[in-house]
Amino acid sequence: MKRVFLCNVSELSVNTVRKVDNAEHGDIAVYNLSGQYYATADLCSHATASLAEGDIEDDLIVCPVHWGTFHIPTGEARDFPCEINIRTYKVEQEGDDLFALIADKAEDPSLIAKG
Amino acid sequence: MANRIKTIDITDALPDIDDFCDIPNARISGEIFHRQDIYEQELEKIFARCWLFVGHESQFKKAGDYITTTMGEDDVIIVRQKNGSHKAFINACPHRGNKVCFSESGNARGFICNYHGWSFNIEGNLIGQHESGIYESSQFDASKWGLREVAQIDSYKGLIFATFDAQAPSLEEYLGPMTWYLDALFDNQEGGTEFVGGCIRSTMDCNWKIAAENFVGDILHAGWTHDSAARAMLGGAVSKVSDFEESYSVNWNGHGYEFALDTVGNVAVLGESALNKYLHTIKPSVIDRLGEFRANMIGSVSSCTIFPNFSFLPGQNTVRIWQPRGPNKIELFTWVVVNKTAPEDIKEKWRKGAMITFSPTGVFEMDDGENWEYCTKTARGRVTSQQDLFVGLGMDTYLEETDLPANVYSGQLNEANSRAFYQYWGDLLKSPSWDAMPNNNKGKAKAGPKASQISDKTDGIGEK
Repeated sequence: MKRVFLCNVSELSVNTVRKVDNAEHGDIAVYNLSGQYYATADLCSHATASLAEGDIEDDLIVCPVHWGTFHIPTGEARDFPCEINIRTYKVEQEGDDLFALIADKAEDPSLIAKG
Repeated sequence: MANRIKTIDITDALPDIDDFCDIPNARISGEIFHRQDIYEQELEKIFARCWLFVGHESQFKKAGDYITTTMGEDDVIIVRQKNGSHKAFINACPHRGNKVCFSESGNARGFICNYHGWSFNIEGNLIGQHESGIYESSQFDASKWGLREVAQIDSYKGLIFATFDAQAPSLEEYLGPMTWYLDALFDNQEGGTEFVGGCIRSTMDCNWKIAAENFVGDILHAGWTHDSAARAMLGGAVSKVSDFEESYSVNWNGHGYEFALDTVGNVAVLGESALNKYLHTIKPSVIDRLGEFRANMIGSVSSCTIFPNFSFLPGQNTVRIWQPRGPNKIELFTWVVVNKTAPEDIKEKWRKGAMITFSPTGVFEMDDGENWEYCTKTARGRVTSQQDLFVGLGMDTYLEETDLPANVYSGQLNEANSRAFYQYWGDLLKSPSWDAMPNNNKGKAKAGPKASQISDKTDGIGEK
């Protein structure tokens, strides 16, 4: 299990998402949904797109390219053309810092995005 | 990024334009309403070059709000940007040309082509495709393949115009002093105007110029064509226009406005006394804003066309584009315009009144439609189309001495605006570039100091 620094809480206002570059595991999208923090793979599982450039609608992230959606807490693909779930990471808060916990191997292979 | 459209090549002019458009001799011929080759020249030399009305700012409330319309026969999307400006794009995917937006209006994050999933944001940038990996491995440069952005877009008092021609003069120069007259309808109250209801679409089997010319300066038809409809709506005949003491025809760059100064002659045919009352109620504030002269125009017997195909009637408050669909057909895009500050019940009365009179089932539109269709249909006759048509009324009515802006002619029963419309039309068909366009404007480019006050018939009727 690896612990990867994401950003400061103060950098992530309510109902926003930002992209955190990560060459090793793939870029990570970190979300603040009404004060609750989540992290998912940033790369859409359909075509090349950074989910952090998309809009948040309730607890869904809308891909900016073809407007498919994923459920932020679970990574589940919800709307066409997205059909492959994206990987999610547990988020830990320590003071003002947010970290993602990345398993060496994804617990569920279906949650590994193609990126 | 979005990509500027490629400017089209201008082909040679037709050799016989002076034969079918001989304005100095007040003569046109019916073939201009029928010939396919003339129509194709119009699409290229008029609709691909002139400023065309594409929408009203009130149709766009927030970023991503869009409407689809056409410029000539070219499908376009107009979409509001995050900074409040508007962009116009050709409504065709740069990959295989499929239409990317099928809805007439709405709000969208962007536009995705149904064919291969090319996705464009509201700035027109190509931001992705289905199977994006294959593009990446083909060294595809997405920045070169955004939606094609129309060359120029600009607005005047809420009216948005666009042109495919990067070389076209600015909208301000194109409209010239006609804006002074446009203000009588579009800027007579603080806050300006808005469209109410949706776009009414219908077709007529007529040439687009017949309709545009009717609004540019043909009030002559009203007393005769619309007699029965007026009796139904008003319980009496249309105002006898020749009885008005003072009326004008004004034009510039082929645009034309003909008007009386009777304040409510047009609105009266809607048969809603509350609307006449509204205009009388706001009139003092219009005098403060625009002066007495234009306050008399707010709902008067009048009509206007901005060249080539954008027209409106003050009073009836109908606004329309005559969209060309071949030499023998038009598609009408019609809206109802009202002052933003008007009470809601007044807006609703205007919407209904305009629908009853000037819509596909409107009593006045029916009258016009048959006339326009037969003006077009008779030109199918090979011999008939070669015969001269007369456009010579009011040849000596030009007013030399006036503070009113634009080319000003005395009297609205006058074909001066029709002649100016066809002259500009013929000049465009002949001109390979805007620089080659002759300048036939001889009036004032700006209103003189007394223009807002004058309401007495001016002396100085001069030579043409």
